[in-house]
Amino acid sequence: MSIKKSEKIMTKKHWIFVCLFGAAFAGCEPSNKSTPNSTGSGTAGTSSAKPATFTLAWSEYPSWSVFGVADEIGLLNKEAGKLGELEKKWNVDIVLKGVDYDTCLQMYGSNTADAVCITNMDTLGPATDRASVAILPTSTSVGADACIAVGVNDLEGLKGKTTRGLERSVSQYAFERILIKKGLNPKDYPFSNMDPGAAASALQTGDSNVQSIMVWNPFVMQTLRDQPKSKKLFDSSEIPEEIIDMVVVGKDSLAKEGGKAFASCIVETFYAINQRMADPKTADKTLVAIGANFSSLGLEDMKQVVQQTRFYKSPEEALKLLSSEEFRTKTMPAVAEFCVEHKIVEKKPSIGFDSADSQVNFDTSFLQAATSGK
Amino acid sequence: MIRRPIPRWLVVLLGILGVFSLLAVYGGLSYRQSLVNEKQKVIPGLQAFGDGVTRMTAPQGSEETPKPSMLVTDLRATYWRLFLGTGLGVVLSVVVGIAMGAYRWIAAPLAPIISFLAKIPPTAMLPIYFVLVGSDQTMFTTMVALGIFFTMAQSVYQSIVNDVKDEAIDKAYTLGASDPEIVYEVIWKQVLPPILDNIRLQIGPAMIFLLAAEMLVGAEGMGYRIRMESRVLNMSIVYIYLCILGFTGLIGDWCLLWLRKKLCPWYDR
Amino acid sequence: MHALEIRNLSHWYGTRRILNKVNLTIAPGQIVALVGPSGCGKSTLLRAILGTDPPSEGEVLAEGRLVTEPNRDVGIVYQNYSLYEFLSAEENVAFGLKLDKTSLISRFIALPAYLRKRREHLQMARDFLKKVGLETAMGHYPAELSGGMRQRVAIAQAFILQPKIVLLDEPFGALDEATREDLQLMLLRFYQENLKAKQRGERPQYTIIIVTHELNEAIYVADRVIGLSRFHTEGSQGAMVVYDRPCPVFHPDDPKDLSKFVEQREELRSAVFDPNYVKHHSKYVSFWDELSNDALAVAAMNSR
Repeated sequence: MSIKKSEKIMTKKHWIFVCLFGAAFAGCEPSNKSTPNSTGSGTAGTSSAKPATFTLAWSEYPSWSVFGVADEIGLLNKEAGKLGELEKKWNVDIVLKGVDYDTCLQMYGSNTADAVCITNMDTLGPATDRASVAILPTSTSVGADACIAVGVNDLEGLKGKTTRGLERSVSQYAFERILIKKGLNPKDYPFSNMDPGAAASALQTGDSNVQSIMVWNPFVMQTLRDQPKSKKLFDSSEIPEEIIDMVVVGKDSLAKEGGKAFASCIVETFYAINQRMADPKTADKTLVAIGANFSSLGLEDMKQVVQQTRFYKSPEEALKLLSSEEFRTKTMPAVAEFCVEHKIVEKKPSIGFDSADSQVNFDTSFLQAATSGK
Repeated sequence: MIRRPIPRWLVVLLGILGVFSLLAVYGGLSYRQSLVNEKQKVIPGLQAFGDGVTRMTAPQGSEETPKPSMLVTDLRATYWRLFLGTGLGVVLSVVVGIAMGAYRWIAAPLAPIISFLAKIPPTAMLPIYFVLVGSDQTMFTTMVALGIFFTMAQSVYQSIVNDVKDEAIDKAYTLGASDPEIVYEVIWKQVLPPILDNIRLQIGPAMIFLLAAEMLVGAEGMGYRIRMESRVLNMSIVYIYLCILGFTGLIGDWCLLWLRKKLCPWYDR
Repeated sequence: MHALEIRNLSHWYGTRRILNKVNLTIAPGQIVALVGPSGCGKSTLLRAILGTDPPSEGEVLAEGRLVTEPNRDVGIVYQNYSLYEFLSAEENVAFGLKLDKTSLISRFIALPAYLRKRREHLQMARDFLKKVGLETAMGHYPAELSGGMRQRVAIAQAFILQPKIVLLDEPFGALDEATREDLQLMLLRFYQENLKAKQRGERPQYTIIIVTHELNEAIYVADRVIGLSRFHTEGSQGAMVVYDRPCPVFHPDDPKDLSKFVEQREELRSAVFDPNYVKHHSKYVSFWDELSNDALAVAAMNSR
């Protein structure tokens, strides 16, 4: 059954040589692709050198879908190896990963992404393991998070009834925070975990078990529109500038070759789109593009959405927030404290501003660079 | 030479080596990841696992109102739902499948619907189920049951069509059987082994479906915990839960195999 | 009372007529061999007798009762799929007793009484299995039995209920020659039991129609051979009985002397299987006329 030795075309000795040769050849291949995980072996920082690659994880949300739109109109190119207009200017290669929010968090936490579109309170968790730098506040929730109920007219009537929303998220924060602000005791208002999409769907179909939900847009607007019996009990306009949507970059990634260029490019892209939203010629088109994958809401509704998710349209507005005494000494620390107290986050990371060596650092340098004429 | 036998001790040894290499690879990856970021939790090391185990087995609640640990709560919730849901699904699909196999006028309207619905992945149908079944505790049971019902009813029906020959049924009548006796003594006894095998096959999908549902709704259960802990990147707990799922799956397999051997000794001859 | 009576049975498949006014009476204790070319309608006739496919025209009566569906008056042994895989040999044989003599509900409600009956049934089954030559392997499952053993069990299973007539549908076709001969001897022994029963004035237990392709087997085992074919003057109208004559009865202890039936075999072959020999269909149908006052007359017992 086995071939006689003399008849074999390749004897065992031949196979050994082939394998060694192949191994040597494979080992010689030059590895000049720099990935987000590699420890900074990039090329020298000359503009003719190959650009460094960075990954930004984003999810569909008004002020974050901006990046998806940037790819559509050519300011950025979401693929690795291809450069959009602004990428060429800053000599960085930005890879855009549009995934759902939870996946974004995991990608950032596991170092698969260099930067992520994330809320301020969701940054607290990963920051204890990966020092993070917030480079750009994109918007704040002033009504984008709301408590909607069916068959309940006021907060008195809500007492004892379970509200459904995503645990340990912005929803839980907003819910308990607003109740406290109104002088009520969150213990009287049970909060139970449910995915916001499922919660909104349950309310819309009249599921008798779900009477009250705490969700974010687009579910807020869609529910109010599709369920005539629903009523908004309160929303995040009661706590403006406490929930901040932003772009956060890992400190390690920022320190890499080309990291600062990456951050600057992101900042410039954001404001470029905001300018298009302000320009009457392109305003509507841009708004529609942002809302395209976000929801089933049309142009008119999107106009309302971008008021409830209030964009920081210019670097000046963003700076006003981050540099303010209010934010630095009161709001942000209070948010962090609240999260720890209410078990939304386990450990509180250290929070700092500008060049502080903290686990969460709000760095205004890129915003400042953006104001002074790029 | 293909399939040449190897000594039994070698089989065992290679098996053990296989498992060890997997653990070694994991250890290597974990070590490498911690060189990059020593506080990383994504590929946890032994220390992190230890912490995770402590956290999940610690009793919750307070002194006066003690509650069981995270692990116990989740296991109980998930496995109870799985048990009830699978039980209900199996009973329904066996009843419907046998009815279809016994009476052609039942099979005719149901077969096209069932085989069509069986092709749709249950996880894709989750949103529909949410709408139809609501969101309280019995929802999980119903959803798991519906999720496995169509596939299983179809395979029960198919087993009957394939395994129960016309000759067997005709002969039973010549031996004095009544219709119910044929259903029980001929059809049921003949397809019991394939039914048990199908249950074994459906537990996997049922679990997938249940975990997917738990990730969206509810405040306890393994799906819920895996989602929550992944969000905050406590992967140690997630991996331990995954291992538990793996082991209980194996145990479930063995139990059903044993059951089949006991009830149907004729099948393996 | 005739064990089986077929009156003017005709059957069509669509517009094609397969069987044409088949008439047949079989007395208790007869072992009738049914032969015919492939596709002549033997299986159709068999299914009509069994009751699974009632005929388009005509009637089948088992001991006076009309057959419209399979029932315990007409037993069957198939060539393949002859046993229930999930029952052991003795359980297979006792199966009929269980189905016929006990009801499904009583098995659950009156459990002790049922268990007692079951022990009796299993004992009866074992006794019968011994009779058909299967002493060992009574507790084995069909998958563990050889082809010959399986057919013995199937035959025991059919006969233990004492139906009016048993159909054997090419029962030994899948077996080797030696096994086949053993089983043929078993049928001959059944016939001897029939004779003894008649002497005692009892109704003989083994009334059989055996369908076979082997002409030698037909003549050896049976005391009456029936041929069904289309090769007669009204052939276009479907198959009819073209041969119905007695054939010699062999004793199981006698050596198998093939010379004894060479002549009849040739007659059978030309009458039933030769497409060129177109004769009137009743030419060779003379069974009842040939009965005389010898031992063969006993075989045509008509107890009124």
